[in-house]
Amino acid sequence: MSYTLTTLWHDRQRYLPGILAVAFSALLIALQCGLLFGLLSISTIPIDRSDADVWIGPQKVLSVDTGQPISESKLVSRVAGLPGVTHVEPYIQRFSFWEKPGGGTDLCIIVGCRLTEDSIGPSKVLPRELRDRLTEEGAVVVDESELERLDIQHAPALLEQGRFATAKINGRPVRVVGLVKGMRSIAGPYIFCSLFTARSIMKLGSDQTVYVLAKCDDPKHASLVVEQLKSSPLQQEQPDMSVFTKDEFSYKSRMHWLLKTKGGLALGYAAALGLLVGLVVTSQTLYAATMASMREYAILLALGIPRWRLRWTVVTQAFWIGIFGVIVSIPATYFLGELATHLGVKPLLSAELMAAAAVITLGMAIFSGIIALRSLKQIEPVNLLR
Amino acid sequence: MAWVQPDDADLRSATMRDEPVLQGFHLTRSFGDGETRTYALRDVSLGLRKGELALLMGPSGSGKSTLLAVLSGLLEPDRGQVLARVNGKEVDLWKLTPRQREQFRLKHCGFIFQGYNLFPALTARQQLEIVLRWGEGVSGAEARERSREMLSLLGLSKKCHLLPAQLSGGEKQRVAIGRALIKNPQFVFADEPTSALDWAHGEQVVELLRIAAHERGATILVVSHDHRIVPFVDTVFHLEDGRLQESEPPDETPPPGVRFRLEMPP
Repeated sequence: MSYTLTTLWHDRQRYLPGILAVAFSALLIALQCGLLFGLLSISTIPIDRSDADVWIGPQKVLSVDTGQPISESKLVSRVAGLPGVTHVEPYIQRFSFWEKPGGGTDLCIIVGCRLTEDSIGPSKVLPRELRDRLTEEGAVVVDESELERLDIQHAPALLEQGRFATAKINGRPVRVVGLVKGMRSIAGPYIFCSLFTARSIMKLGSDQTVYVLAKCDDPKHASLVVEQLKSSPLQQEQPDMSVFTKDEFSYKSRMHWLLKTKGGLALGYAAALGLLVGLVVTSQTLYAATMASMREYAILLALGIPRWRLRWTVVTQAFWIGIFGVIVSIPATYFLGELATHLGVKPLLSAELMAAAAVITLGMAIFSGIIALRSLKQIEPVNLLR
Repeated sequence: MAWVQPDDADLRSATMRDEPVLQGFHLTRSFGDGETRTYALRDVSLGLRKGELALLMGPSGSGKSTLLAVLSGLLEPDRGQVLARVNGKEVDLWKLTPRQREQFRLKHCGFIFQGYNLFPALTARQQLEIVLRWGEGVSGAEARERSREMLSLLGLSKKCHLLPAQLSGGEKQRVAIGRALIKNPQFVFADEPTSALDWAHGEQVVELLRIAAHERGATILVVSHDHRIVPFVDTVFHLEDGRLQESEPPDETPPPGVRFRLEMPP
């Protein structure tokens, strides 16, 4: 075991605050990012739960819920003819206004898709029975957790009696023919309906859609199809659409939300605070530890041991404090993540996120070691003689 | 036992050389400015020979530690010169750059200060290893072997694995001496090396320093208040109010039966 590790173990009580501060920072970064990414993933449920490999939308679309109407027939014909594409269908998703039965309006997101068994849109999240009910004009399905927000708390009771809660969206009457679970949204409740109902609510023509979805014979061919569409002469001369693979569009939509909602800023600020706490505590721990060994270090300096060697020792201590802090943070993060999930907010704790949090925190720990180096400046061997 | 009775009569004469290897000329050092300026050293000149164990005595505040710091390259004098002869070459210590002086100390100087100043987390062996590994960059295996050998010479072969908290005061000071000698330095500077010890242990420490001087040829300057050391040293310097008094060899001879020598490995 190296002298540094030996010292850390021997004086573990002295170094413990530093290790806990690093663990706290890593936990804060991972959990906050995880919670935010978890929230953002809700905004792309329609993309992530669809079977479509390629998403074609209006030009310069920013995120899945900000699309503008485009011509369906023109795009479908361009996409369907491409090699590797096995299925093409329109899909509508746009913001609208839910007019509450008791008065007032709230934002909602219209999700209009094909309801057939072979549909590649997100309608597959609905059971067959609900999809059948949605074929009727004006029929909609909402998530059961959004009832209060939509002011239709009485909907389940009505459904049991074979009746439907009614409301208006964009001035068009709708009736809630069923409820679904696990389809919560951030910006506004998802309102599932047929393409026909969606067009009616959005006042779109029968040839209008917001997206065209395509399925490939192999999902790996999605990038190829995207490239073909992007490089087509028509698109090159008069660009009129945006083309993404499923993953690209999901990522783009999440990033849009991250930036639009200033969530990134809030996240960065909170994470920076966490890092600052870790930085100060770790740096002070190392400073105090170095000052406590001042006379021993002074002897080494007198013996001609170069000062950089002592600096390296302090930074190495910081590195190991960082490593131990990160190790402590991993189970703590997953435990608190589970706790959050039980409380109804599921953080998205991917391996990449955990690795990023570990690297950032480790960097912070090493930086705190560099800050603590000021302690060595005060060490002069001649002071041992006074 | 690591300590045995010597079989030769006088260890001192065997190693003493006439040529001074460490000389201070007209050393002056003051602290403070203006009216608060006080002189710790006033025009001090002295010379130490190879294999000499010298004692620097004087009342508190007489400038003993300052002189040790100036001679060892730790504290720059206001005026004066420190010349060291190493490998046949003369080095003007205070004309070297700080980096060169650091290198000089690394290659040629050992230090023993008041208190033991041992890292609480490291074993006796590691205290010595660290000097070799961080200073000379020797391999872990070599540092371990040399440290074990040195501790064995100091009679601590069975204490190599112990932490400072598990050692007695005398043992700790012997480890500190081992740390100072592990590089086989030409010059050793010791500031009150016996101050924290009872005389039984203090005597052992002085004997070790004497052997390091006479058998290993190190030039050793000891700063101490302890008059009991006088019979063991070759030269005594008296410093008062920053001025060196006439120095003379001690007229007392070491009491018989208390001298030791290191048991060298076969």
